[in-house]
Amino acid sequence: MRQPVITLSDASGPARPGPHPLWTRAFHGFNLLVLLLMAGSGLEIYNANPVFGGRAGATVPGWLTLGGWLAGGRDWHFGVMGLYAANLGLWIGLLLHRRHRRLADGGDLGTLRRSASPPRRRLASHRVTYTLMLVVLAFSLLSGLAMYKPAQLWWLVSLFAFAEPAGHSSWQTLRVCHLATIPAIALLLVAHVGLSWRVGGLRLLRRMVL
Amino acid sequence: MGSDPGRRRALGLLVSGGSSLLLGGCGLNRWSTAVGAATQPLNERIEALLQGQGPVPEFRPSQVEPAALLVNSFNGTPNLAPESYRLVVNGAVRRPLRLDLAALAALPQRECVIRHVCVEGWAAIVAWSGPRLADVLALAGPSPLGAYLAIRSADQYFETWDLASALHPQTLLATHMNGAPLPVANGAPVRLASPIKLGYKQSKWVTGLELMTSLGDRLGTWEDRGYEWFAGL
Repeated sequence: MRQPVITLSDASGPARPGPHPLWTRAFHGFNLLVLLLMAGSGLEIYNANPVFGGRAGATVPGWLTLGGWLAGGRDWHFGVMGLYAANLGLWIGLLLHRRHRRLADGGDLGTLRRSASPPRRRLASHRVTYTLMLVVLAFSLLSGLAMYKPAQLWWLVSLFAFAEPAGHSSWQTLRVCHLATIPAIALLLVAHVGLSWRVGGLRLLRRMVL
Repeated sequence: MGSDPGRRRALGLLVSGGSSLLLGGCGLNRWSTAVGAATQPLNERIEALLQGQGPVPEFRPSQVEPAALLVNSFNGTPNLAPESYRLVVNGAVRRPLRLDLAALAALPQRECVIRHVCVEGWAAIVAWSGPRLADVLALAGPSPLGAYLAIRSADQYFETWDLASALHPQTLLATHMNGAPLPVANGAPVRLASPIKLGYKQSKWVTGLELMTSLGDRLGTWEDRGYEWFAGL
């Protein structure tokens, strides 16, 4: 098993973290902004026909939405999606190319199962957390594309036919999956911020974004 | 590094942007149209590129979802008497036409089992049948300068399409739905049906087709209020 790199700050509580590379900070800040815009406009679109309950279903409170009405929500959602995709694609590409050792792998799961050392477990769970975030973000992009171009990307929609034996159409499954990326990323974000806080406090969080 | 005033200002902007978003987005909602106007031309170009001319895979007739097809109407439900119904085809054509239902029924009939996707987010698999829109336009002798099609409806609903989408082999002037004559609520006697456009492009109660060489001031009932014009799927 490969040993994860444990920095001084992991072992001795909050310490001065080294500066993060500019591109990490740029992707973080931009991704946070774009994610808020995508989630707000996505919930505006949700309200036009709630995924749960259809026209009789409950809508999302207005203060969580962006766009003002359906067309406004779509303006934002499809206006920002290109930036979101480009940012995410570049980020994942650079991570895989230059920093793949920071992404989680089987070794981290082994650490979580076997290691009794809290810092080591924390580091492993954090690597798993932010790697999962990238997976969820990529999934939101793919499921969104399937809904945006279902005629052209029919094969992508057909991947969501797995619940048809239970009576749920692939379209409904697709809508639920796309929506589910919001709570999923919110939960992972809470874990990510919490674990970062333990390492470097507010200073680290600020340095991650700016 | 964190004390850089430019960065601090950017952080402040980010936080205030985020919080105004959570407080109803009042500040940002004003920008919706501008964001759409800035990004739709590129999106539409990509959509048109993706669309090509090829057919979209169809579903089996057993997969239709009649209960999932919701009814939207812009201005009530017009009742058109079948015997006096005429479809007007004019504009940039050599032979302007007034077709009755018998003339439409005499054209080759095509059935398409496709997913009907509404801009609101719901979708339903529907079997539409009727003549191809391309066959109807061909009867009128279209000018090679024709680039857009205006579609008028009995309820004053108005649409414009790019000609390539109108001539797509699965774009129909549907007179039947799920194996039965088209119900009035779904656009009887004649409506548009296509797998490559959102539902609001697929006019019901169609009474007029006009081939145009360029788009006029009106793009469509909903487009003029802010919806996307191309609206490809």
